[in-house]
Amino acid sequence: MNRRTFLIGGATAVACGRGPRLNVFNWSDYVAPDTIPNFEREFGLRVRYGTYESIPEMLAKVMSGNSGWDVIFPSAEYIQPMRDMGLLARLNHAWLPNLSNLDRQFQQPPWDPGLEWSVPYMHGSTGIVYQKNLGWSPRAWSDLWDTRLAGKLTMLDDPPEVFAACLKTLGYSLNSADPRQLKAAQQRAIAQKPLVRAYLNAEVRDQLIAGDVAAAQAWAVTAAQAIAAAPDRLAFSFPSEGFPRYADNVAILRESSRLEAAHHFIAYLLRPRVAAAIVETTRTAACNAAALPFLPEALRSDPVLYPPAEILARGEWFTPQSAASQRLRDRLWTEIKA
Amino acid sequence: MKLRNLFLTPAAALMVVTLVAPLAIVCVYSVLTRGAYGGVELPWTIENFTRLWDPVYGVIFLRSFWIAAVATAFCLVLGFPLAMFIARSGSRKNLYLSLVILPFWTSFLIRTYAWMFLLRDTGIINSALQALGIIREPLPLLYNDGAVILGLVYGFLPFMVLPLYATLERLDPSLLEAAADLGARPRDTLVRVTLPLCAPGIRAGAILVFVPCLGTYLTSDLLGGSKTVLIGNVVQNQFTAARDWPFGAALSLALMAIAMLLLFAVRKRGEELL
Amino acid sequence: MRRGLAVYAVFAYAFLHVPLLILAVFSFNSSRFSVWQGFSLQWYRAVAADGNLLESAGNSLIIAIVATAIATIVGTLAAYGLWKPRRSGKRGSTWLSGSMYLSLVTPEIVTGASLLALFQWIFRFMNLRLGMHTVILAHVGFSLAYVVVVVLARLRSYDRTLEEAALDLGATEFGAFYRVTLPYLVPAIAAAAMLAFTVSIDDYVITSLVAGVDSQTLPMVIYAMARRGVNPALNAVSTLVVFGLGMLIILSERLRRT
Repeated sequence: MNRRTFLIGGATAVACGRGPRLNVFNWSDYVAPDTIPNFEREFGLRVRYGTYESIPEMLAKVMSGNSGWDVIFPSAEYIQPMRDMGLLARLNHAWLPNLSNLDRQFQQPPWDPGLEWSVPYMHGSTGIVYQKNLGWSPRAWSDLWDTRLAGKLTMLDDPPEVFAACLKTLGYSLNSADPRQLKAAQQRAIAQKPLVRAYLNAEVRDQLIAGDVAAAQAWAVTAAQAIAAAPDRLAFSFPSEGFPRYADNVAILRESSRLEAAHHFIAYLLRPRVAAAIVETTRTAACNAAALPFLPEALRSDPVLYPPAEILARGEWFTPQSAASQRLRDRLWTEIKA
Repeated sequence: MKLRNLFLTPAAALMVVTLVAPLAIVCVYSVLTRGAYGGVELPWTIENFTRLWDPVYGVIFLRSFWIAAVATAFCLVLGFPLAMFIARSGSRKNLYLSLVILPFWTSFLIRTYAWMFLLRDTGIINSALQALGIIREPLPLLYNDGAVILGLVYGFLPFMVLPLYATLERLDPSLLEAAADLGARPRDTLVRVTLPLCAPGIRAGAILVFVPCLGTYLTSDLLGGSKTVLIGNVVQNQFTAARDWPFGAALSLALMAIAMLLLFAVRKRGEELL
Repeated sequence: MRRGLAVYAVFAYAFLHVPLLILAVFSFNSSRFSVWQGFSLQWYRAVAADGNLLESAGNSLIIAIVATAIATIVGTLAAYGLWKPRRSGKRGSTWLSGSMYLSLVTPEIVTGASLLALFQWIFRFMNLRLGMHTVILAHVGFSLAYVVVVVLARLRSYDRTLEEAALDLGATEFGAFYRVTLPYLVPAIAAAAMLAFTVSIDDYVITSLVAGVDSQTLPMVIYAMARRGVNPALNAVSTLVVFGLGMLIILSERLRRT
């Protein structure tokens, strides 16, 4: 029996659902079309791939401790809380030989220095996308309060992000829990609201390309995708006062009974070619340095996805908020929107 | 009356499991405290209810009622003639009824995106109007209350048409003939014979539209640009991003109490909805 | 007036279907953006190749059919039970009607979150997980009130004496229901079933909360795709659904006539 027949037969057998399984719960649009099928073929596993749109949605499912998922992708500021809640399984580095593929800044990230609970996956920042035909370039968050943008400005529909922008214009940390600072930030948001056309997340991409929106607070991923579609019309800037950085990580749930398979999956994602394929599809920035040589030049030197270090130094990671601070922020956010 | 009890039992069992028990949980949650990362924990507190007196929530409630009422009125005005047309179309009744329902078997989300596509500044409606020279600058058709109401009417029209059709369909044509014989003009017949006889259907339709409109959040998010928050948005937010289940529980209990009061206020003796 | 109604109906149907037409037209667009750039079937090919999408569509259909069947049967029986007076002459059942009202006024997010909490609590004692069964149960729960409302509306204008006549002529209680009342109720039952099916197949909020690992439905997949922006594959999906169901309806009409 030659290798090809064996593979096809194996794939068919696996597809019939008789092989062992792995349940992966990820953000939508975060893998390449052949990432999962290739993994299934190589390891003889069947992967059930589910997606979520927000962390609270994922948390609600996994908090019970018997959700059925094995691998999840929490954002950096949720790793410590989830660990405290006893939801994560400790990683076995013996099964993850290629951790060194990670970019140096992610080998000992602030939220998990020993990489005991998570492995950084994709990262990014938030900044400003704008139409070049504006005639001027918004280079700071405070530029988004300029009345020239009235009716053609969008902000993210994400309380931490909007507060981050407002806090930064006042010179505060974007993780501030100080009620006075937060209230001042809220006042700025309310002052800006008449100029805002809408609060949009990833959907703003198409409106930027169509020209409906002149400037938008946007994630680097959305910006990279928009600029790729209209390179001569759109540009991106990392605000001068500082900007948020985020990182999504892979982690394994403690309830999982398939620890070894889950580790194999993580190691598989760390492979340079696999990571490179994912980046090419999703246009995100991988935390995997070994993948860079396999990327096309255009992606590797994309200033939006891979900015130089001095720009990144202005960025600030999101950290977990205390319950009281979360409460206050939520109340202030409701008042902004009302 | 054993048959009656037999018929009621399955529904009763289902309601206990899918409604009564979960609502009991909601009531319990509303007097607990928010867990740090979602979920609930002790101590017991009524703080979630005292928080409701904050005027910002009153404003939001009022705006939500206003929008729901306007949307319901439009649904009634638009849906009644359509239901009448279907009820009188003889052998093609089911076909026309299905044509009303058919769009609603595609995803509500996709239909909403289709409307966003139509209403945008660079969308088809504005482009057509500009091409015809009727306007010079694009009209702001999207991201305002009008767009939200349009989305709600579009989304809930079948909930008005179906109950209306159910009552219109069995309307005895001889009653209308009798009215005509007695000298009534078509409009008088409509107002003084047809409408009163359809009152159960109108009430049913109005409730099936108004109440979900009160709790809507997707439409105001997408078509309203997430700029104005309705009570549904606030509740949604508590169960997701804000992770404050106890406050969300208290808020929705308040919303449900007000809606139930309204329902009981408008019902007529002998004409209950349920 | 008939002519006026017909003209109005044309406009009403146009209002209902125009967005779908736009979607359909752009599902054949060769570019992914909102400017027409030529005819192409690539999005349909993408849909056919997307196993996840097809599987979730299948799940949605199964859930909707099963939930509609159960809700329609249980709801019709319940409506009849609520309408039929007790031996004492009183009608209705206060707590059942009350819970149906409550079911209608509860926001979806609350229903979903509380059902999730209930299931998670129950599952601690039984070795069960979220899955198709929890989704179907949730769907039956929220469709039930709709069915009861529609069928009851028709029952309210029904002549009670017809059943009494049947009983006088020697029919059993069930016979009176089955032979006399039920045929009268058929249009309302059909309308109620359609309503329940519609509500079930399009539900996102409640389903996403109580779905398990193996029960992703079409609205969940669509929601994820749509949040990323315009995606003509979505247009293709909705056009296929409308076309497929439209064909089904026309077919059933033809069969009914023969």
